[in-house]
Amino acid sequence: MKAKGSAPLAFVLLLPAMVCLGVFRIYPIALTAWGSLRRESFEEAGRTLFVGAQNYVDLFGDPLFWKSLWVTTKLNAVINPVQVVLALLLAVMVNQRFRGIGFYRLLLFVPIGVSLPIACVIWRLMLDPQSGLINSLLGWVGIGRQPFLIDEHQALWSILAIATWKGVSFWMIFLWAGLQAIPLELHEAARIDGARTVRRFFRITLPLLKRSLLFVLVTDTAVNFLLFVPMFLLTRGGPAYSTNVLMYEAYKSGFIYGEMGRALALVMVLLLLVSVAVALQFYFLRQEES
Amino acid sequence: MNSSGSTLLRHAGYLLVGCIFLLPLWWAFSSSLKPLTEVFRDTSPFHLRALLPVPFHPGAYLEIFQKGFGRAVWNSLLVAFLSVTFGLAVNGCAGFAFAVLSFPGKNLLFGITVLTFLVPSEAISVPLYTVVRGLGWLDSYAGLVVPGIANGITIFLFRQFFAQIPRELAEAARMDGAGWLTILLRIYVPLCKPVIISAGLLIFIFQWEAFLWPLIATRSEGMRVVQLALAGFEQEHQTLWTELFAASVVSSAIPLLILLPLQRYYIQGVVGSSIKG
Repeated sequence: MKAKGSAPLAFVLLLPAMVCLGVFRIYPIALTAWGSLRRESFEEAGRTLFVGAQNYVDLFGDPLFWKSLWVTTKLNAVINPVQVVLALLLAVMVNQRFRGIGFYRLLLFVPIGVSLPIACVIWRLMLDPQSGLINSLLGWVGIGRQPFLIDEHQALWSILAIATWKGVSFWMIFLWAGLQAIPLELHEAARIDGARTVRRFFRITLPLLKRSLLFVLVTDTAVNFLLFVPMFLLTRGGPAYSTNVLMYEAYKSGFIYGEMGRALALVMVLLLLVSVAVALQFYFLRQEES
Repeated sequence: MNSSGSTLLRHAGYLLVGCIFLLPLWWAFSSSLKPLTEVFRDTSPFHLRALLPVPFHPGAYLEIFQKGFGRAVWNSLLVAFLSVTFGLAVNGCAGFAFAVLSFPGKNLLFGITVLTFLVPSEAISVPLYTVVRGLGWLDSYAGLVVPGIANGITIFLFRQFFAQIPRELAEAARMDGAGWLTILLRIYVPLCKPVIISAGLLIFIFQWEAFLWPLIATRSEGMRVVQLALAGFEQEHQTLWTELFAASVVSSAIPLLILLPLQRYYIQGVVGSSIKG
Protein backbone atom coordinates (compact mmCIF):
# COMPACT_ATOMS: atom_id res chain seq x y z
CA MET A 1 0.00 0.00 0.00
CA LYS A 2 1.22 3.46 -0.82
CA ALA A 3 0.76 5.80 2.08
CA LYS A 4 -0.44 8.67 -0.08
CA GLY A 5 -0.56 12.18 1.25
CA SER A 6 1.43 11.29 4.31
CA ALA A 7 4.62 13.23 3.54
CA PRO A 8 3.61 16.41 5.45
CA LEU A 9 2.75 14.40 8.56
CA ALA A 10 6.00 12.42 8.19
CA PHE A 11 7.89 15.70 8.11
CA VAL A 12 6.25 16.93 11.32
CA LEU A 13 6.75 13.59 13.12
CA LEU A 14 10.38 13.29 12.08
CA LEU A 15 11.42 16.89 12.68
CA PRO A 16 12.17 16.78 16.44
CA ALA A 17 14.09 13.51 16.19
CA MET A 18 16.08 14.57 13.15
CA VAL A 19 16.97 17.99 14.58
CA CYS A 20 18.19 16.38 17.83
CA LEU A 21 20.14 13.70 15.97
CA GLY A 22 21.66 16.33 13.72
CA VAL A 23 22.80 18.62 16.53
CA PHE A 24 23.86 16.04 19.14
CA ARG A 25 25.02 13.10 17.03
CA ILE A 26 25.79 13.89 13.40
CA TYR A 27 27.45 17.26 13.94
CA PRO A 28 29.74 15.85 16.68
CA ILE A 29 30.55 12.88 14.42
CA ALA A 30 31.47 15.32 11.65
CA LEU A 31 33.68 17.18 14.14
CA THR A 32 35.27 13.82 15.02
CA ALA A 33 35.96 12.97 11.38
CA TRP A 34 37.41 16.44 10.82
CA GLY A 35 39.48 16.22 14.01
CA SER A 36 40.96 12.90 12.92
CA LEU A 37 42.61 14.77 10.04
CA ARG A 38 44.23 17.29 12.36
CA ARG A 39 46.93 17.23 14.96
CA GLU A 40 48.02 19.35 17.91
CA SER A 41 50.50 22.03 16.98
CA PHE A 42 53.86 21.94 18.75
CA GLU A 43 54.46 25.68 18.39
CA GLU A 44 51.20 26.90 19.79
CA ALA A 45 49.31 25.14 22.57
CA GLY A 46 45.66 24.53 21.82
CA ARG A 47 46.01 25.01 18.06
CA THR A 48 45.59 22.15 15.62
CA LEU A 49 46.98 21.74 12.14
CA PHE A 50 45.56 19.94 9.15
CA VAL A 51 47.69 16.85 8.51
CA GLY A 52 45.54 14.94 6.02
CA ALA A 53 45.63 11.18 6.48
CA GLN A 54 48.82 11.28 8.55
CA ASN A 55 47.07 10.14 11.78
CA TYR A 56 45.77 7.09 9.93
CA VAL A 57 49.13 6.36 8.29
CA ASP A 58 50.83 6.48 11.71
CA LEU A 59 48.11 4.29 13.17
CA PHE A 60 48.50 1.57 10.55
CA GLY A 61 52.25 1.51 11.14
CA ASP A 62 51.82 1.09 14.90
CA PRO A 63 51.96 -2.50 16.25
CA LEU A 64 49.89 -1.43 19.27
CA PHE A 65 47.04 -0.49 16.93
CA TRP A 66 47.07 -3.96 15.37
CA LYS A 67 47.25 -5.57 18.81
CA SER A 68 44.22 -3.53 19.93
CA LEU A 69 42.35 -4.36 16.74
CA TRP A 70 43.04 -8.06 17.35
CA VAL A 71 41.86 -7.88 20.98
CA THR A 72 38.69 -6.01 19.94
CA THR A 73 37.94 -8.52 17.17
CA LYS A 74 38.64 -11.53 19.37
CA LEU A 75 36.44 -10.25 22.18
CA ASN A 76 33.56 -9.43 19.85
CA ALA A 77 33.74 -12.64 17.88
CA VAL A 78 32.98 -14.46 21.13
CA ILE A 79 30.97 -12.11 23.33
CA ASN A 80 28.18 -11.24 20.88
CA PRO A 81 27.12 -14.79 19.94
CA VAL A 82 27.53 -15.91 23.57
CA GLN A 83 25.37 -13.10 24.93
CA VAL A 84 22.63 -13.47 22.34
CA VAL A 85 22.40 -17.25 22.77
CA LEU A 86 22.39 -17.00 26.58
CA ALA A 87 19.81 -14.20 26.47
CA LEU A 88 17.63 -16.39 24.27
CA LEU A 89 17.95 -19.34 26.65
CA LEU A 90 17.05 -17.10 29.57
CA ALA A 91 14.08 -15.66 27.67
CA VAL A 92 12.80 -19.18 27.06
CA MET A 93 13.35 -19.92 30.76
CA VAL A 94 11.41 -16.90 32.06
CA ASN A 95 8.68 -17.49 29.49
CA GLN A 96 7.74 -20.83 31.09
CA ARG A 97 4.75 -20.94 33.37
CA PHE A 98 4.84 -23.02 36.50
CA ARG A 99 4.40 -22.53 40.21
CA GLY A 100 7.27 -20.45 41.56
CA ILE A 101 8.35 -18.89 38.25
CA GLY A 102 7.75 -15.41 39.69
CA PHE A 103 10.49 -15.96 42.22
CA TYR A 104 12.98 -17.17 39.61
CA ARG A 105 12.13 -14.26 37.33
CA LEU A 106 13.03 -11.95 40.17
CA LEU A 107 16.44 -13.63 40.52
CA LEU A 108 17.13 -13.51 36.79
CA PHE A 109 16.24 -9.82 36.65
CA VAL A 110 18.76 -8.75 39.28
CA PRO A 111 21.67 -7.80 36.99
CA ILE A 112 19.43 -5.40 35.05
CA GLY A 113 19.46 -3.11 38.06
CA VAL A 114 23.21 -3.35 38.63
CA SER A 115 25.07 -0.77 36.58
CA LEU A 116 28.24 -1.79 34.77
CA PRO A 117 30.55 0.27 37.02
CA ILE A 118 28.98 -1.33 40.11
CA ALA A 119 29.18 -4.78 38.54
CA CYS A 120 32.88 -4.18 37.86
CA VAL A 121 33.65 -3.08 41.42
CA ILE A 122 31.82 -6.03 42.99
CA TRP A 123 33.27 -8.60 40.57
CA ARG A 124 36.79 -7.24 41.03
CA LEU A 125 36.53 -8.01 44.74
CA MET A 126 34.95 -11.40 44.07
CA LEU A 127 37.61 -12.34 41.51
CA ASP A 128 40.50 -11.25 43.70
CA PRO A 129 43.21 -13.95 43.49
CA GLN A 130 43.92 -13.84 47.24
CA SER A 131 40.73 -12.99 49.10
CA GLY A 132 38.07 -13.39 46.42
CA LEU A 133 34.88 -15.30 46.97
CA ILE A 134 35.07 -17.07 43.61
CA ASN A 135 38.41 -18.68 44.35
CA SER A 136 37.04 -19.88 47.68
CA LEU A 137 34.07 -21.43 45.91
CA LEU A 138 36.31 -22.99 43.26
CA GLY A 139 38.39 -24.46 46.09
CA TRP A 140 35.28 -26.26 47.32
CA VAL A 141 34.95 -28.14 44.05
CA GLY A 142 38.67 -28.89 43.96
CA ILE A 143 39.85 -26.26 41.46
CA GLY A 144 43.03 -24.38 42.33
CA ARG A 145 43.30 -20.62 42.72
CA GLN A 146 42.95 -18.67 39.48
CA PRO A 147 44.55 -15.28 38.81
CA PHE A 148 41.60 -14.04 36.66
CA LEU A 149 42.01 -10.32 35.95
CA ILE A 150 45.75 -10.14 36.57
CA ASP A 151 46.65 -12.88 34.10
CA GLU A 152 47.41 -12.19 30.46
CA HIS A 153 45.46 -15.24 29.29
CA GLN A 154 42.46 -14.90 31.60
CA ALA A 155 41.83 -11.16 31.88
CA LEU A 156 39.91 -10.73 28.62
CA TRP A 157 37.72 -13.74 29.33
CA SER A 158 37.09 -12.56 32.88
CA ILE A 159 35.89 -9.24 31.48
CA LEU A 160 33.75 -11.15 29.00
CA ALA A 161 32.18 -13.06 31.88
CA ILE A 162 31.48 -9.90 33.88
CA ALA A 163 29.99 -8.05 30.90
CA THR A 164 27.91 -11.12 30.06
CA TRP A 165 26.65 -11.47 33.63
CA LYS A 166 25.63 -7.83 33.49
CA GLY A 167 24.26 -7.86 29.94
CA VAL A 168 22.25 -11.01 29.29
CA SER A 169 19.31 -10.23 31.58
CA PHE A 170 18.87 -6.91 29.87
CA TRP A 171 18.83 -8.42 26.37
CA MET A 172 16.63 -11.23 27.66
CA ILE A 173 13.83 -8.70 28.24
CA PHE A 174 13.64 -7.86 24.54
CA LEU A 175 13.66 -11.49 23.46
CA TRP A 176 11.05 -12.28 26.09
CA ALA A 177 8.81 -9.57 24.65
CA GLY A 178 9.37 -11.17 21.24
CA LEU A 179 8.41 -14.60 22.58
CA GLN A 180 5.25 -13.16 24.09
CA ALA A 181 4.28 -11.74 20.71
CA ILE A 182 4.16 -15.22 19.15
CA PRO A 183 0.54 -16.36 19.03
CA LEU A 184 -0.12 -19.29 21.31
CA GLU A 185 -2.36 -20.86 18.65
CA LEU A 186 0.70 -21.56 16.52
CA HIS A 187 2.23 -23.62 19.29
CA GLU A 188 -1.05 -25.36 19.99
CA ALA A 189 -1.46 -26.26 16.34
CA ALA A 190 2.07 -27.63 16.14
CA ARG A 191 1.57 -29.58 19.34
CA ILE A 192 -1.60 -31.16 17.97
CA ASP A 193 0.36 -32.05 14.85
CA GLY A 194 2.75 -33.86 17.14
CA ALA A 195 5.78 -31.66 16.62
CA ARG A 196 8.31 -32.14 19.41
CA THR A 197 9.43 -29.31 21.66
CA VAL A 198 12.87 -28.89 20.11
CA ARG A 199 11.47 -29.02 16.60
CA ARG A 200 8.75 -26.51 17.49
CA PHE A 201 11.41 -24.20 18.83
CA PHE A 202 13.50 -24.25 15.64
CA ARG A 203 10.59 -24.32 13.19
CA ILE A 204 8.18 -21.85 14.80
CA THR A 205 9.69 -19.87 17.64
CA LEU A 206 13.06 -19.02 16.13
CA PRO A 207 11.81 -17.78 12.72
CA LEU A 208 9.14 -15.63 14.37
CA LEU A 209 11.68 -14.22 16.78
CA LYS A 210 13.95 -13.00 13.99
CA ARG A 211 13.07 -9.31 14.35
CA SER A 212 13.77 -9.32 18.07
CA LEU A 213 16.95 -11.34 17.57
CA LEU A 214 18.21 -8.97 14.91
CA PHE A 215 17.53 -6.00 17.16
CA VAL A 216 19.33 -7.56 20.11
CA LEU A 217 22.27 -8.76 18.03
CA VAL A 218 22.80 -5.39 16.35
CA THR A 219 22.44 -3.34 19.52
CA ASP A 220 24.55 -5.72 21.57
CA THR A 221 27.29 -5.64 18.93
CA ALA A 222 27.33 -1.85 18.95
CA VAL A 223 27.55 -1.84 22.76
CA ASN A 224 30.29 -4.47 22.95
CA PHE A 225 32.55 -3.00 20.28
CA LEU A 226 32.60 0.12 22.44
CA LEU A 227 32.91 -1.70 25.74
CA PHE A 228 35.20 0.44 27.82
CA VAL A 229 34.19 0.64 31.48
CA PRO A 230 35.62 -2.77 32.55
CA MET A 231 38.97 -2.09 30.91
CA PHE A 232 39.00 1.37 32.46
CA LEU A 233 38.08 0.23 35.96
CA LEU A 234 39.63 -3.25 36.15
CA THR A 235 42.67 -3.80 33.94
CA ARG A 236 43.76 -0.50 32.36
CA GLY A 237 44.13 -2.46 29.13
CA GLY A 238 46.60 -4.90 30.67
CA PRO A 239 48.20 -7.22 31.58
CA ALA A 240 50.54 -7.01 28.58
CA TYR A 241 47.87 -5.19 26.53
CA SER A 242 45.71 -8.33 26.61
CA THR A 243 42.56 -6.27 27.24
CA ASN A 244 43.64 -3.18 25.32
CA VAL A 245 40.57 -2.76 23.08
CA LEU A 246 40.44 0.02 20.49
CA MET A 247 38.04 2.10 22.59
CA TYR A 248 40.43 2.06 25.54
CA GLU A 249 43.37 2.84 23.25
CA ALA A 250 41.39 5.82 21.93
CA TYR A 251 40.67 6.98 25.48
CA LYS A 252 44.35 6.75 26.40
CA SER A 253 45.44 8.63 23.29
CA GLY A 254 42.95 11.41 23.80
CA PHE A 255 42.76 11.90 27.53
CA ILE A 256 46.08 10.59 28.89
CA TYR A 257 48.61 11.34 26.14
CA GLY A 258 46.76 14.35 24.72
CA GLU A 259 46.94 13.08 21.14
CA MET A 260 43.40 13.99 20.16
CA GLY A 261 44.05 13.49 16.44
CA ARG A 262 45.14 9.90 17.00
CA ALA A 263 42.22 9.29 19.38
CA LEU A 264 39.69 10.54 16.86
CA ALA A 265 41.30 8.49 14.07
CA LEU A 266 40.95 5.41 16.30
CA VAL A 267 37.30 6.25 16.92
CA MET A 268 36.72 6.55 13.17
CA VAL A 269 38.30 3.11 12.60
CA LEU A 270 36.11 1.71 15.35
CA LEU A 271 32.97 3.22 13.83
CA LEU A 272 33.85 1.71 10.47
CA LEU A 273 34.37 -1.67 12.13
CA VAL A 274 31.00 -1.57 13.92
CA SER A 275 29.24 -0.46 10.75
CA VAL A 276 30.71 -3.37 8.78
CA ALA A 277 29.81 -5.89 11.52
CA VAL A 278 26.23 -4.61 11.73
CA ALA A 279 25.83 -4.42 7.95
CA LEU A 280 26.90 -8.08 7.72
CA GLN A 281 24.39 -9.07 10.38
CA PHE A 282 21.59 -7.26 8.55
CA TYR A 283 22.63 -8.80 5.25
CA PHE A 284 22.68 -12.40 6.48
CA LEU A 285 19.59 -12.25 8.67
CA ARG A 286 17.54 -10.45 6.04
CA GLN A 287 18.62 -12.85 3.34
CA GLU A 288 17.57 -15.82 5.39
CA GLU A 289 14.17 -14.22 5.85
CA SER A 290 13.31 -14.16 2.16
CA MET B 1 11.70 -39.94 34.53
CA ASN B 2 8.55 -39.40 36.55
CA SER B 3 6.98 -35.96 36.63
CA SER B 4 7.85 -35.00 40.20
CA GLY B 5 11.48 -35.85 39.45
CA SER B 6 11.52 -33.59 36.41
CA THR B 7 9.86 -30.81 38.40
CA LEU B 8 12.59 -31.08 40.98
CA LEU B 9 15.23 -31.01 38.28
CA ARG B 10 13.67 -27.92 36.77
CA HIS B 11 13.64 -26.11 40.11
CA ALA B 12 17.26 -27.09 40.67
CA GLY B 13 18.24 -25.71 37.27
CA TYR B 14 16.39 -22.43 37.78
CA LEU B 15 17.78 -22.07 41.28
CA LEU B 16 21.37 -22.60 40.10
CA VAL B 17 21.07 -19.99 37.34
CA GLY B 18 19.23 -17.67 39.70
CA CYS B 19 21.99 -17.93 42.30
CA ILE B 20 24.67 -17.07 39.75
CA PHE B 21 22.71 -13.94 38.91
CA LEU B 22 21.99 -13.01 42.48
CA LEU B 23 25.31 -13.85 44.16
CA PRO B 24 27.32 -10.64 43.49
CA LEU B 25 24.55 -8.30 44.55
CA TRP B 26 23.63 -10.49 47.51
CA TRP B 27 27.21 -10.44 48.71
CA ALA B 28 27.28 -6.64 48.34
CA PHE B 29 23.97 -6.45 50.17
CA SER B 30 25.02 -8.57 53.13
CA SER B 31 28.39 -6.79 53.29
CA SER B 32 26.65 -3.42 53.33
CA LEU B 33 24.95 -4.42 56.56
CA LYS B 34 28.17 -5.23 58.43
CA PRO B 35 30.74 -3.13 60.25
CA LEU B 36 33.56 -2.10 57.90
CA THR B 37 36.09 -4.35 59.65
CA GLU B 38 34.03 -7.50 59.02
CA VAL B 39 33.56 -7.16 55.26
CA PHE B 40 36.44 -9.31 54.03
CA ARG B 41 36.84 -11.50 57.08
CA ASP B 42 35.05 -14.60 55.78
CA THR B 43 35.61 -14.52 52.05
CA SER B 44 38.86 -16.49 52.12
CA PRO B 45 38.87 -19.04 53.60
CA PHE B 46 35.19 -19.01 52.90
CA HIS B 47 32.65 -19.14 55.67
CA LEU B 48 28.91 -18.91 55.13
CA ARG B 49 29.00 -15.79 57.32
CA ALA B 50 30.39 -13.96 54.27
CA LEU B 51 26.94 -14.18 52.71
CA LEU B 52 24.98 -13.24 55.82
CA PRO B 53 24.59 -9.80 57.35
CA VAL B 54 26.18 -10.71 60.67
CA PRO B 55 27.11 -8.93 62.82
CA PHE B 56 24.20 -6.73 61.80
CA HIS B 57 25.17 -3.09 61.45
CA PRO B 58 23.06 -1.04 58.99
CA GLY B 59 24.78 2.29 59.74
CA ALA B 60 26.15 2.68 56.21
CA TYR B 61 22.68 3.34 54.84
CA LEU B 62 22.24 6.30 57.15
CA GLU B 63 25.69 7.62 56.36
CA ILE B 64 25.28 7.64 52.58
CA PHE B 65 22.11 9.70 52.82
CA GLN B 66 23.77 12.10 55.24
CA LYS B 67 26.46 12.54 52.59
CA GLY B 68 23.94 13.67 49.99
CA PHE B 69 23.31 10.40 48.18
CA GLY B 70 19.57 11.16 48.27
CA ARG B 71 20.15 14.25 46.15
CA ALA B 72 22.02 12.13 43.58
CA VAL B 73 19.19 9.59 43.50
CA TRP B 74 16.69 12.40 42.96
CA ASN B 75 18.79 13.89 40.14
CA SER B 76 19.10 10.55 38.38
CA LEU B 77 15.39 9.80 38.76
CA LEU B 78 14.44 13.20 37.38
CA VAL B 79 16.87 12.94 34.46
CA ALA B 80 15.72 9.40 33.67
CA PHE B 81 12.03 10.36 33.92
CA LEU B 82 12.43 13.36 31.61
CA SER B 83 14.50 11.29 29.17
CA VAL B 84 11.91 8.51 29.06
CA THR B 85 8.97 10.91 28.57
CA PHE B 86 10.52 12.98 25.80
CA GLY B 87 12.38 10.03 24.33
CA LEU B 88 9.22 7.95 23.89
CA ALA B 89 7.35 10.84 22.25
CA VAL B 90 10.11 11.94 19.89
CA ASN B 91 11.40 8.50 18.90
CA GLY B 92 7.95 6.93 18.76
CA CYS B 93 6.79 9.54 16.23
CA ALA B 94 9.92 9.02 14.14
CA GLY B 95 9.55 5.23 14.30
CA PHE B 96 5.95 5.49 13.11
CA ALA B 97 6.93 7.71 10.19
CA PHE B 98 9.67 5.27 9.13
CA ALA B 99 7.45 2.20 9.48
CA VAL B 100 4.14 3.34 8.04
CA LEU B 101 4.35 6.59 6.09
CA SER B 102 6.00 7.14 2.75
CA PHE B 103 7.99 10.21 1.89
CA PRO B 104 11.01 11.10 -0.23
CA GLY B 105 14.43 10.29 1.23
CA LYS B 106 13.03 7.74 3.69
CA ASN B 107 15.70 5.07 3.20
CA LEU B 108 18.52 7.57 3.36
CA LEU B 109 17.20 9.14 6.58
CA PHE B 110 16.62 5.75 8.16
CA GLY B 111 20.12 4.64 7.19
CA ILE B 112 21.58 7.72 8.86
CA THR B 113 19.44 7.10 11.95
CA VAL B 114 20.70 3.53 12.26
CA LEU B 115 24.28 4.69 11.82
CA THR B 116 23.96 7.23 14.64
CA PHE B 117 23.27 4.55 17.21
CA LEU B 118 26.52 2.88 16.40
CA VAL B 119 28.34 5.94 17.60
CA PRO B 120 29.27 5.75 21.25
CA SER B 121 28.43 8.80 23.30
CA GLU B 122 31.85 8.26 24.89
CA ALA B 123 33.54 8.62 21.52
CA ILE B 124 31.87 11.90 20.65
CA SER B 125 31.84 13.33 24.17
CA VAL B 126 34.51 15.93 23.44
CA PRO B 127 32.78 17.52 20.43
CA LEU B 128 29.43 17.07 22.20
CA TYR B 129 30.77 19.03 25.14
CA THR B 130 31.56 21.92 22.78
CA VAL B 131 28.00 21.86 21.42
CA VAL B 132 26.34 21.75 24.84
CA ARG B 133 28.61 24.50 26.16
CA GLY B 134 27.61 26.62 23.17
CA LEU B 135 23.96 26.17 24.13
CA GLY B 136 24.75 27.24 27.70
CA TRP B 137 23.51 23.93 29.11
CA LEU B 138 26.55 22.83 31.08
CA ASP B 139 25.78 21.78 34.65
CA SER B 140 22.02 21.73 34.02
CA TYR B 141 19.27 19.14 33.64
CA ALA B 142 18.86 20.19 30.00
CA GLY B 143 22.50 19.32 29.37
CA LEU B 144 21.97 15.83 30.80
CA VAL B 145 18.63 15.14 29.14
CA VAL B 146 18.37 16.82 25.74
CA PRO B 147 21.46 15.39 23.97
CA GLY B 148 20.20 11.86 24.62
CA ILE B 149 16.52 12.29 23.67
CA ALA B 150 16.70 11.43 20.00
CA ASN B 151 18.16 7.99 19.88
CA GLY B 152 18.67 5.71 16.90
CA ILE B 153 18.16 2.53 18.94
CA THR B 154 14.76 3.62 20.21
CA ILE B 155 13.63 4.80 16.78
CA PHE B 156 14.73 1.43 15.40
CA LEU B 157 12.82 -0.41 18.13
CA PHE B 158 9.62 1.54 17.42
CA ARG B 159 10.00 1.08 13.68
CA GLN B 160 10.39 -2.69 14.10
CA PHE B 161 7.28 -2.79 16.24
CA PHE B 162 5.08 -0.63 14.00
CA ALA B 163 6.21 -2.53 10.91
CA GLN B 164 4.78 -5.79 12.25
CA ILE B 165 1.29 -4.39 12.80
CA PRO B 166 -0.80 -5.59 9.83
CA ARG B 167 -1.25 -2.89 7.21
CA GLU B 168 -4.83 -4.01 6.66
CA LEU B 169 -5.83 -2.18 9.84
CA ALA B 170 -4.56 1.13 8.50
CA GLU B 171 -5.90 0.43 5.01
CA ALA B 172 -9.37 -0.24 6.32
CA ALA B 173 -9.30 3.01 8.26
CA ARG B 174 -8.11 4.87 5.15
CA MET B 175 -11.05 3.43 3.23
CA ASP B 176 -13.32 4.86 5.89
CA GLY B 177 -11.74 8.23 5.28
CA ALA B 178 -9.55 8.47 8.38
CA GLY B 179 -6.48 10.74 8.22
CA TRP B 180 -3.00 9.47 9.07
CA LEU B 181 -2.94 11.29 12.37
CA THR B 182 -6.19 9.61 13.40
CA ILE B 183 -4.75 6.25 12.34
CA LEU B 184 -1.66 6.87 14.45
CA LEU B 185 -3.63 7.91 17.54
CA ARG B 186 -6.53 5.46 17.22
CA ILE B 187 -4.90 2.31 15.88
CA TYR B 188 -1.18 2.37 16.54
CA VAL B 189 -0.87 4.10 19.91
CA PRO B 190 -3.28 1.74 21.74
CA LEU B 191 -1.29 -1.27 20.50
CA CYS B 192 1.95 0.27 21.67
CA LYS B 193 2.13 -0.80 25.28
CA PRO B 194 4.78 -3.53 24.93
CA VAL B 195 7.12 -1.42 22.82
CA ILE B 196 6.62 1.56 25.11
CA ILE B 197 7.72 -0.60 28.02
CA SER B 198 10.72 -2.02 26.15
CA ALA B 199 11.81 1.37 24.84
CA GLY B 200 11.15 3.11 28.15
CA LEU B 201 13.24 0.50 29.91
CA LEU B 202 16.04 0.94 27.40
CA ILE B 203 16.10 4.71 27.85
CA PHE B 204 15.77 4.50 31.62
CA ILE B 205 18.62 2.03 32.03
CA PHE B 206 20.95 3.93 29.69
CA GLN B 207 20.34 7.16 31.62
CA TRP B 208 20.52 5.51 35.01
CA GLU B 209 23.90 3.98 34.12
CA ALA B 210 25.32 7.07 32.46
CA PHE B 211 28.74 7.87 33.85
CA LEU B 212 31.10 9.59 31.44
CA TRP B 213 28.72 12.21 30.07
CA PRO B 214 27.48 13.45 33.50
CA LEU B 215 31.12 13.49 34.60
CA ILE B 216 31.95 15.87 31.75
CA ALA B 217 28.73 17.88 31.59
CA THR B 218 28.14 18.62 35.28
CA ARG B 219 30.31 20.27 37.85
CA SER B 220 28.39 21.25 40.95
CA GLU B 221 27.61 18.99 43.90
CA GLY B 222 23.89 19.62 43.46
CA MET B 223 23.88 18.17 39.92
CA ARG B 224 25.66 14.92 40.78
CA VAL B 225 23.97 11.77 39.49
CA VAL B 226 23.98 8.33 41.09
CA GLN B 227 26.92 6.77 39.24
CA LEU B 228 29.15 9.77 40.02
CA ALA B 229 28.13 9.75 43.66
CA LEU B 230 29.06 6.06 43.76
CA ALA B 231 32.50 6.78 42.36
CA GLY B 232 32.87 9.33 45.15
CA PHE B 233 32.76 6.61 47.80
CA GLU B 234 35.78 4.97 46.24
CA GLN B 235 37.91 8.05 45.73
CA GLU B 236 37.67 10.15 48.85
CA HIS B 237 40.51 9.23 51.24
CA GLN B 238 40.18 5.45 51.34
CA THR B 239 37.43 3.22 50.01
CA LEU B 240 34.49 3.10 52.39
CA TRP B 241 33.41 -0.38 51.40
CA THR B 242 30.24 -0.61 53.43
CA GLU B 243 29.03 2.75 52.13
CA LEU B 244 29.99 1.84 48.57
CA PHE B 245 28.05 -1.41 48.93
CA ALA B 246 25.06 0.33 50.50
CA ALA B 247 24.96 2.91 47.71
CA SER B 248 25.35 0.13 45.12
CA VAL B 249 22.42 -1.75 46.61
CA VAL B 250 20.20 1.34 46.66
CA SER B 251 21.08 2.30 43.11
CA SER B 252 20.50 -1.27 41.88
CA ALA B 253 17.21 -1.65 43.73
CA ILE B 254 15.56 1.38 42.14
CA PRO B 255 15.55 0.14 38.50
CA LEU B 256 14.42 -3.28 39.75
CA LEU B 257 11.54 -1.81 41.74
CA ILE B 258 10.42 0.05 38.64
CA LEU B 259 10.84 -2.98 36.39
CA LEU B 260 9.10 -5.60 38.52
CA PRO B 261 5.55 -4.22 38.32
CA LEU B 262 6.02 -3.77 34.57
CA GLN B 263 6.75 -7.43 33.92
CA ARG B 264 3.05 -8.28 34.08
CA TYR B 265 2.63 -6.53 30.75
CA TYR B 266 4.91 -9.13 29.24
CA ILE B 267 3.30 -12.02 31.06
CA GLN B 268 -0.18 -11.04 29.93
CA GLY B 269 1.09 -11.04 26.40
CA VAL B 270 -0.68 -7.79 25.60
CA VAL B 271 0.43 -8.05 21.99
CA GLY B 272 -2.13 -10.79 21.75
CA SER B 273 -2.66 -13.13 18.90
CA SER B 274 -4.32 -10.62 16.62
CA ILE B 275 -0.91 -9.38 15.55
CA LYS B 276 1.39 -11.55 13.58
CA GLY B 277 4.98 -11.70 14.73
